[in-house]
Amino acid sequence: MSTRHDLSLERHEYLKRTRQQKLLVLLAQIILLVLFFSCWELAARLRWIDPFLTSQPSRILQTLIALYKNGSLYVHIGTTIWETFVGFTAGMIGGILIAIVLWWSNFLARVADPYLVVFNALPKVALGPILIVWMGNGQPAIIAMALLISIIITIINMLHGFRSVDEDKIKLLKTFGATRGQVLCKVVLPASLSSVISALKVNVGLSLVGVIMGEFLVSRAGLGYLILYGSQVFKMDTVMTSVIILAATAAAMHLGVAWLEKKLLKWQQ
Amino acid sequence: MTTPKVEVQNIGVKFQTADGETEAIRDVSFSVLAGEFVSIVGPSGCGKSTILNIISGLLKPNTGQVRVYGRVGYMLQRDHLFEWRTVLKNCLLGPEVQGQDLKTARENVKMLLKTYGLNEFMHHYPNQLSGGMRQRAALIRTLAVNPDIVLLDEAFSALDYQTRLAVVDEVWTILKKENKTAIIVNHDIAEAISMSDRIIVLSRRPAVVKNIYQIRFAQPGNTPLENRKDEKFRHYFNAIWKELDVHVDQA
Repeated sequence: MSTRHDLSLERHEYLKRTRQQKLLVLLAQIILLVLFFSCWELAARLRWIDPFLTSQPSRILQTLIALYKNGSLYVHIGTTIWETFVGFTAGMIGGILIAIVLWWSNFLARVADPYLVVFNALPKVALGPILIVWMGNGQPAIIAMALLISIIITIINMLHGFRSVDEDKIKLLKTFGATRGQVLCKVVLPASLSSVISALKVNVGLSLVGVIMGEFLVSRAGLGYLILYGSQVFKMDTVMTSVIILAATAAAMHLGVAWLEKKLLKWQQ
Repeated sequence: MTTPKVEVQNIGVKFQTADGETEAIRDVSFSVLAGEFVSIVGPSGCGKSTILNIISGLLKPNTGQVRVYGRVGYMLQRDHLFEWRTVLKNCLLGPEVQGQDLKTARENVKMLLKTYGLNEFMHHYPNQLSGGMRQRAALIRTLAVNPDIVLLDEAFSALDYQTRLAVVDEVWTILKKENKTAIIVNHDIAEAISMSDRIIVLSRRPAVVKNIYQIRFAQPGNTPLENRKDEKFRHYFNAIWKELDVHVDQA
């Protein structure tokens, strides 16, 4: 390792250049965002667009402050995150468990295969009304929606991950006399960690889709409810505000998964 | 030196697939004595690895039987160190799976790592090791379960040529020092000659034993690298090469 002092001139130049480029990209991203909102605001103020239909950043800010002041901001965000989290966790755990069963029994996997394919192709949103009839007009139906939307793809991805574990690694363990359970715990599961992470990434997004769909259909709280309610009473400020909060929430959850990935895949560095 | 460690008697294997039946091995018999290093060579796809799978008990032959006196350890083509485990934990895989006392096993493995120059790398992950060191770690993982017989299935073929020469020397020395019996499957005739006491030449599929060569160099106890310089080396090479060549012509 070279210390800061004995860096060559070329190295110094290179580091400076990459740093500058990184900064430039970040700057451009910020400018784009600022530009977008300023144009929106300006266009609304000059009446080029109708703020009644499009809302405008200053009104969104006011709505946000109002939501914060009457205390409902965190209720809506919290509701959506909680439903997403529960549906997502249940989908992950259930999906992984079912994938393990299908990995274990080749017979069951072959039996289940066409059902998985059809279920995966079916838009789960279509099952929303059925869920409401069965589970009532509330949170359980929403969570079930998030679960349904993520569990099938989890099963398919995890099973694929389990099966693509190097056969020779399994053979190695068998030469030590390992049981199928040991093969699962010592090779298949740890080797599939990156599949788990990619399933995690996909599922965060999918569960959120499920929750918002569910909230459109039944709820009395949550960002999906806020969006639908806003559009029904024609308060576009509320709708736009909710969408922006939703974008921030989705970004935060994505960052959370990225952080988890870094933690779990320590040995890859 | 004269007690048999492995006795292979008239084994035959037929593989069944949807496309049909493949007879891989027909009536193969040989035995390996304690402390002996025996190589199996033959045209590719002739069922060499299948024989190792049978000896290790991973596969049952359709006919014939195998008697193994002692514990068997297996070294595969690539090192297959688990990336998510440190070197020490990789080497403890066997004892872990077999439910041995891990405290004793850990001491034993640490001792081996120290003896064979991996002491400093014990807590490193495999991707921080060179190819040669990885192979050594894989060998220690095999030795950790205290096998009497070590099966090597093309164990060096993933290494580049120069590393390979050095690693073969190393592994050979370690196995001799630990008093192991070794059965080596190899498609590199020169390497097989350099590290074996006997070489079994198999025919094309279905494999039968074509010939068995007793390898005797002028200086017994020399390492594989030194053996390559022996006068008889070329003689053995030519003889075995010729034997294999016939089958290439037929194919």
